[in-house]
Amino acid sequence: MADTIQDFSSFRSLVIDDFGAMRTMLADMLKSYGARSIDMAANGREAVSQLSTRQYDIVLCDFNLGPGKNGQQLLEEAKFRNWISPTCAWMMITAEQTPDSVHGAVEYQPDGYLIKPVNAGLLHQRLGRVLARKSVFADIDVKLRRKDVRGALAKCDEKIKQEKQYASELLRWKAQMLVSIGDFEPARALLEEVLKGRDLAWARVALAEVMQYEGDYHGSCQLLKQVIDELPAHVRAYDLLAVAQEKLGQFEQARKTLESAARLSPNSPVRQKNMGELALRCGDTETAEASFRKSMTVGQHSVLKTPDSYIGLAHIIGGRHQTEEAARLLGTLPQVFEDAAVHIRAKAVEGLIYQQNGMAEQAEQSAVAVSEMMKKAALHHDTKASMETAALFFQTGRKEAAVALLSDVVRNNPDDQALLARVSKTYSDAGLHEEGMKWVKAARDEATALMNEGVLLARDRKLPEAVASMRRAVAAMPANVRVLVNCGHVMMLSLEQRDDPQLRREAVEVLMTALSLAPGDKRCAKLLAQLGALN
Amino acid sequence: MPIDDQPKVSAFFASSVHDMKNSLGMLSGLLEKVLARHSESDFSDYHDLTAMLYETRRLNSDLMHLLTLYKLDLQRYPFQSQSVQLAEFLDDLQAQNDRLLVARGIELSCRLADASLEWHFDEDLVLGVINHAVNNASNYTQGRILVSVDVVDGMLEIRVEDDGGGYPPFMLTGEAGPSGVDFTRGSTGLGLFFATTVLALHKNKGRSGCLQLENGGHLGGGVFIVKIP
Repeated sequence: MADTIQDFSSFRSLVIDDFGAMRTMLADMLKSYGARSIDMAANGREAVSQLSTRQYDIVLCDFNLGPGKNGQQLLEEAKFRNWISPTCAWMMITAEQTPDSVHGAVEYQPDGYLIKPVNAGLLHQRLGRVLARKSVFADIDVKLRRKDVRGALAKCDEKIKQEKQYASELLRWKAQMLVSIGDFEPARALLEEVLKGRDLAWARVALAEVMQYEGDYHGSCQLLKQVIDELPAHVRAYDLLAVAQEKLGQFEQARKTLESAARLSPNSPVRQKNMGELALRCGDTETAEASFRKSMTVGQHSVLKTPDSYIGLAHIIGGRHQTEEAARLLGTLPQVFEDAAVHIRAKAVEGLIYQQNGMAEQAEQSAVAVSEMMKKAALHHDTKASMETAALFFQTGRKEAAVALLSDVVRNNPDDQALLARVSKTYSDAGLHEEGMKWVKAARDEATALMNEGVLLARDRKLPEAVASMRRAVAAMPANVRVLVNCGHVMMLSLEQRDDPQLRREAVEVLMTALSLAPGDKRCAKLLAQLGALN
Repeated sequence: MPIDDQPKVSAFFASSVHDMKNSLGMLSGLLEKVLARHSESDFSDYHDLTAMLYETRRLNSDLMHLLTLYKLDLQRYPFQSQSVQLAEFLDDLQAQNDRLLVARGIELSCRLADASLEWHFDEDLVLGVINHAVNNASNYTQGRILVSVDVVDGMLEIRVEDDGGGYPPFMLTGEAGPSGVDFTRGSTGLGLFFATTVLALHKNKGRSGCLQLENGGHLGGGVFIVKIP
């Protein structure tokens, strides 16, 4: 029989709706199910203050909340900032199903949708069911939030056996987790098995994603086009198709695909930004400008907003010699983004635009400001900030500092050919083509040397020394995937000799960082699997 | 360039339908609340109130169907086939209709051949189809409606049966299509058109969903049969 929770008396609820009569009606419904503690919020601002200070078991949230954040943005922020626990049931109340609500990013989906008008009986049923389901999925979710994907997978397998009625959803979670740690072969096998039984869109889309990680962009394109043919509102299929087309160099098609996705789901700041960048690639400045502006507008109330759209737009405006307007736009970035790297990028790009428009004095001032900011901020490695700053430093005669920054970029990304080409171009633009090639090589050699030290120590079975050496290498090159993976490897060798729970956690963390930088890295996935086997 | 930016009458159509749905939602919510506080014996206008709730629901269901068809036409309806527990599906159906049917003296019973049966379909769409059928049956029934669910020949079959006079002969010609316009019965054919459109979207391994109308069945009246592969 259907699993459901009927007793609501111990739950704390929050009702979010901009319409007073609707709030009262929803609260009355909750009371009629026995709920006693019910808070209300009339807009995004009130909801933020309540969600950030109290733990709720149930959130009923209207999608349209008037000016400010909408329900989806509120949910994204609540999840992003960990305001709600894995057991909290978030029900979105909407006038209609939207492509985002159904096919959007799973990590930001609510637990259920109710289409207006809300019927008291139906709300009770659905809420009871969602609460029961949450209690099943909470164990997995807790592990996922701790980044313990292996543990989550084990839990998931356990539940697949016990909880027959959630089997289909559990399989979907399992496939997604396998993909997230790069276990593509089992993921593919699982998806193909699911598809043998039934043509399910989610499984086909997930399979297409696996194909991309395995480098089969043509096959992936084909499969995604089939899905879109049948389900023309499948947003995720369009997004993935655009990635594959871009990889295949089909920029114009990729752009059309993203346009279709944006028509279905116009409120994603990142998708709009991607559209802008693709339009620039195709030489269409006008569309790029519109897309960057749209990205800023839809990002206004969203935690998923991106500084790239501001910077992209500033470059376009600056390129039209509207220097002051570009500077004003960049000046707003520090208020919008907290990240110190973004503040540095804003100043650096400002300087570049001044320089481009012949305002050397102002460019010099920007460069001075960036130098100061770099000294002050204990900065994690940020490739974009380093690249933009290096370009400005060259143009304002700070050659040594520029070379240091670019060398740092190379050390962290010695295998990223596209990025290395851009580094070389930056040197060439500065009239340093010959020297630049040497510097790039020197930085790559340095990275290899730093890494090999630990690897060689490990080969000589000097494992404690090897681990210490790899730690130093990671500290020097925190975004170098190869260094991170080798560090994980050396740590695992040490664990095989002598187990140490703390070192194991550290190894998993290092490898997860690598995986987040290079999703689907095979060696990394294998090591993570082995680490799981050590348990 | 963004393509949505030119306002069209059709856009106002959709947003106005939303707005109307909101009002109707409030209205039916309030009516349900009032009905729950009273009974036939203590409230003289009980029957009128029930009729109001029925009409409100009908309006809402029509608007919902129009909006969904509109979005399907624009290729913007996010069709989602997902695993549905039929026991839960029937619970939802009961929960949504109980108050109104009880108030109108109609008994809705559900029969599920296999209590753990699950199937893949778009829950909201199919619930919309069955709700419409139940609503329709409630107009012609003498007092009993039966919804039964089983798997027949590899297809999920949901049957909505009543003990009324059955469908007129011209509606029974094979698979039902959008042709059943009958203004004398207050039917524009929207419900049937919606049902056939929605069911045809359900595809699996080369088979598509469909709708069939019959007379007879367990209760001797109309039988509305939904088949999903």
